[in-house]
Amino acid sequence: MEFNFAKIVRLTAGGIALAAVSTLANAMDLPAKPPGFGDRPLTMIVPFGSGGGSDQLARAMAQAMEEEAGLAFQVVNKPGGGGTAAIPDFMLAPADGYTVLEHIDNAISAYAKGDIQENPAVDWIPLCMTQITFSQIYIRADEERFTDWDSFVAYAKADPGSVTMANLGRVGSMELVVMHQLSDALGIEVTQIAFDKPAERYGALIGGHVDVLFEQPGDVRSFLDSGQMKPILTFLNARPDAFADVPTHREAGADFEALTRFRGFFVKNGVPQDRVDYLAAACAAGFSNPGYAEFNRSKFMHLIDSYRDVQGSIDLINGAVATYRAMYEQLGI
Amino acid sequence: MDLFIQGTLNLFGDWQAISIFVFGLLGGMIFGATPGVNMLTLGAVILPFTVTMLPEHAIMLFSVIYCAGVFGGAITAILFNIPGAPENAPTCFDGYPMTLRGESGKAIGAAVSCSAIGGIASAILMMSATGAIAGWAVRAFGPQEIFALIFFGLAVSASIGAENLWKGWLSVLAGLLIATIGTDPVGGIPRFNEGGLFGLTFKSYYLSAGIHFIPIILGFFAVSEVFSQATNIAMGTRVRPKAGLDFPSVVDFWRVRWTMLRSVAIGFFAGILPGIGATLAAFLGYSQAQRWSRNRPNFGKGEIEGVVASETANNAATGAAMIPLLALGLPGGALTAMMMGIFQIHGMEPGPLIFINSGDLVWITFAAMFWANVCIVFLGWLQTKTVVHLLRIPFRWLAPGILMLAIVGAYALRNLFIDVWVMFLAGIAGYLLRRTGYSAAGVVLGLILGKLGESAFTKSMQLMDYDFLGFFGRPVSGVLILMGMAAIAFSIISEFRKRDRDADAGA
Repeated sequence: MEFNFAKIVRLTAGGIALAAVSTLANAMDLPAKPPGFGDRPLTMIVPFGSGGGSDQLARAMAQAMEEEAGLAFQVVNKPGGGGTAAIPDFMLAPADGYTVLEHIDNAISAYAKGDIQENPAVDWIPLCMTQITFSQIYIRADEERFTDWDSFVAYAKADPGSVTMANLGRVGSMELVVMHQLSDALGIEVTQIAFDKPAERYGALIGGHVDVLFEQPGDVRSFLDSGQMKPILTFLNARPDAFADVPTHREAGADFEALTRFRGFFVKNGVPQDRVDYLAAACAAGFSNPGYAEFNRSKFMHLIDSYRDVQGSIDLINGAVATYRAMYEQLGI
Repeated sequence: MDLFIQGTLNLFGDWQAISIFVFGLLGGMIFGATPGVNMLTLGAVILPFTVTMLPEHAIMLFSVIYCAGVFGGAITAILFNIPGAPENAPTCFDGYPMTLRGESGKAIGAAVSCSAIGGIASAILMMSATGAIAGWAVRAFGPQEIFALIFFGLAVSASIGAENLWKGWLSVLAGLLIATIGTDPVGGIPRFNEGGLFGLTFKSYYLSAGIHFIPIILGFFAVSEVFSQATNIAMGTRVRPKAGLDFPSVVDFWRVRWTMLRSVAIGFFAGILPGIGATLAAFLGYSQAQRWSRNRPNFGKGEIEGVVASETANNAATGAAMIPLLALGLPGGALTAMMMGIFQIHGMEPGPLIFINSGDLVWITFAAMFWANVCIVFLGWLQTKTVVHLLRIPFRWLAPGILMLAIVGAYALRNLFIDVWVMFLAGIAGYLLRRTGYSAAGVVLGLILGKLGESAFTKSMQLMDYDFLGFFGRPVSGVLILMGMAAIAFSIISEFRKRDRDADAGA
C-alpha cells in the first residue's frame, strides 16, 4: 500500500503557510474587558497530572495572562484516560467563558479516531495555540552500536525488528503515525514498545531497556544538556539552528509533512463573542509576556513558530484531523 | 562529612533559609495529615513562587515538604483510619486497632520515631551513595524486573488481613480485577465503556480514567469505619477509645529492631527504582514484617510492629527517590517531577554533572532532609501529647467530620465526581468485607500492585516479543518469579496442613 503523500502534504500545507503570517498576531492591543466578565477567578482545566508538560504550560500561561490582562486563574488538574476524563466536566460547565481547557493534539487524534465525540474546532473554540513543536529520535549518548542516523539505519536493516523504540502507545497517536510514515518510506522496521507513563521512557532509554526514543526536544532538554541523550533525526522540513548537525527526515529520504505536537487553550462553543475575543487577545498578550517567552524558550519552542490565533488554530486542527483520518484509512484503524 | 557540615551551615546560617525550612516542615506535615489535600497540592500551589527564590532554597523547600508530607499522613491513619496519603495506608492496618485499644499515643509515637529513623537512615544512605547506584538501578531494573518484583510482592502478601488464605487471595484478585477498569496501558483502548455487559453499555468517559486507589482506600477504611462504629452505637456495643498518651518505650523499639532495619532496606530499594516509590515501599515493608514476625497472628489487630514496618519503609523511600532525580534527572514520582520543574525554571539540569556544577545545592538539600527528619521527632512527640485529644470528641460529632474529609479527599484527587461515588460504594463494600472475613487491605493491595504490575507486564511482553519464558532468561526477574511461585506453593501447603491439624484437634 502506497501512501498518498501529495494529499497529506496538501492538507497540512495550509497550516504551515499560516505559520509565517500568524507571528504578526503577537502585536496586540488588549480590548476592554467585556462588562461583567473577569471579576472572579477563571478555572483552567488541565487534563493531565501536575508537574507534567501540559501542567507547566497551563500554569505559565495562567501567570502570563494574570500579568498581562489582570485575569485570575485557578488551575485544576483532571488527569486520566489519556486526557479524555476531563472532557465531561468541561462540557458540563456553563458556556460563560469562565472555564478554559488546556489540551493537546491528543484531543484531535482522539476525535479523528472517534474516541471522543466533540470536535475541537467546532464544539470547542480554540483561543490560541501557544506551543507547537517538532519531534526527534534520540539515542543514548554513549551508544556504540550506532552513532548517527546512517549507522542506525544500517543497524536496523541488518536485523529487522530487533531495534526497539520507546513510545506513547495510544493507537493512532501522533508518535505512531509519524513512525509508521517513516518506516514505510525508508523500509526500516522498528519495534514499538508502548509506555503508559511518559517519563518512564527516559529511564528505559538511559537504562538500556530500549534502543531509541521518540520525543520532542523540550521534554528531554535536561538529558540533552547533560549529555545523556543525543538526537539522530529531526522531523522537520529544514534543520533548526539549535540542531544544525542533525539530519531531517526529508534529508533521510522520507517525503512527508510530519505531524507536530501542539498545545493550546479552548473554551466551549456558545461563549459570548466579546468574551472569546477578549480571552483570545489575553492569550496573545500572554504569549508575548517576557516570563512566558522565557518559559517557551526553555522548552525549545522558539525554534519554529509556536503561536496560532483563533483562526490559525482552527486551520491547524482541521488540517491535523484530515491528516489523521487519511492516515487511519491507510493503517486500517 | 565536611560537605554535610557546610550544607548544614548554609541551611541554618541565613534566616531566609531557616524560615523556608520551617515553612516546608509545617506545611508538608499539615498538608500530609489532611486527607484531600496532600504534599502534591502544596507543591503545585507554591511552584510558581519558587521562581523568585534561590534555586537551592527552592529545591530544599520541596525536599523538606517531601519528608514531612510522607510522615504527616500517618496521624489521621492512626487516629481515624483515614490515611492522609496512599503511602500511609498500611499504617491503618495496625495503627487504628491500636487506637481502639487506647494505645493511640504509642502508635503515633512509633510512627513518628520510625518515620524519622527511616528518613534519617535514608538521608545518610543517600549522602554516601553516589550516582553510580542510581545508574545501576536504572540499568539493572527494566520492566521485566519490576514486574517480577511486583509479582513477588503480591505472592508473599496475598493473605494480608484475611481470615484464611483463600479469602485473602479472593480479595487480592478482586483488587486486580478493579485495576483493569479504564484504558489498557498499551494501546490506550477504553475497556469498559464500549460493548457492554448484560446489555448495559458504559459509554462513559469517566470510566476511561480508571478506578483510582485513593477513593477505594478512603471508602474501605474511613467510610466503612463510620458505618461500623454507627452499628456499634446502635447496638450499644461501642467501646469509646481512650486517648493514650504513652510514648513507646526503648524496649518496644529494641523488640522491633530487625523489622526496622528490614523496612529501611526495602524502603530505600523501592525508592531508588523508577516508578515504584513510597506507596509500594510501605506495602512491601508491612507484608515482609508480617511474614517474618513471631507475632504474625496479631498483625491487623493492633501490632506495633505493623506501624513500625510501614512508616519506616515509606520514609526510607524519600531519600532514595532523590538519587535518580539528582544523578540522572529521572523523577520517580509526582513530587520529584515538580523538583525537576524547579531545576528547569532556574536553568539548571539535574544529571551526572550536578554534583560537580551545583555541589552547594546538592548538599544543602541533603542537610535539609536530614534535619527535617530530626525535627519530625520533636514535632511528633509534641503531637502525641496534643493531637490524640481529638479522640475525646464524641463520635456522633466526629463522624460527619470524617465523612466530610473523606468526600473532599476523594474529589480533590482528580477533581472528578465519580471518585466520590466510588468511595461510597467502597465504603459499603468495605463494611460487608469486614463482616465476612475478606480483606479490604488485600483489595487495595491488588488494585495498587495491579496497575503497576500490568503496566510493567505489558512493556515486558512487548520487549520479549510476547515470549513469557523470557522472564526466566534474565537472572533477577527469573529468581524473583521463582521465589514468588515458591511462596504461593508454600502458603497453600501450610494452609492445608493447618486445616488437617484443626481437623485432628477437632476429632
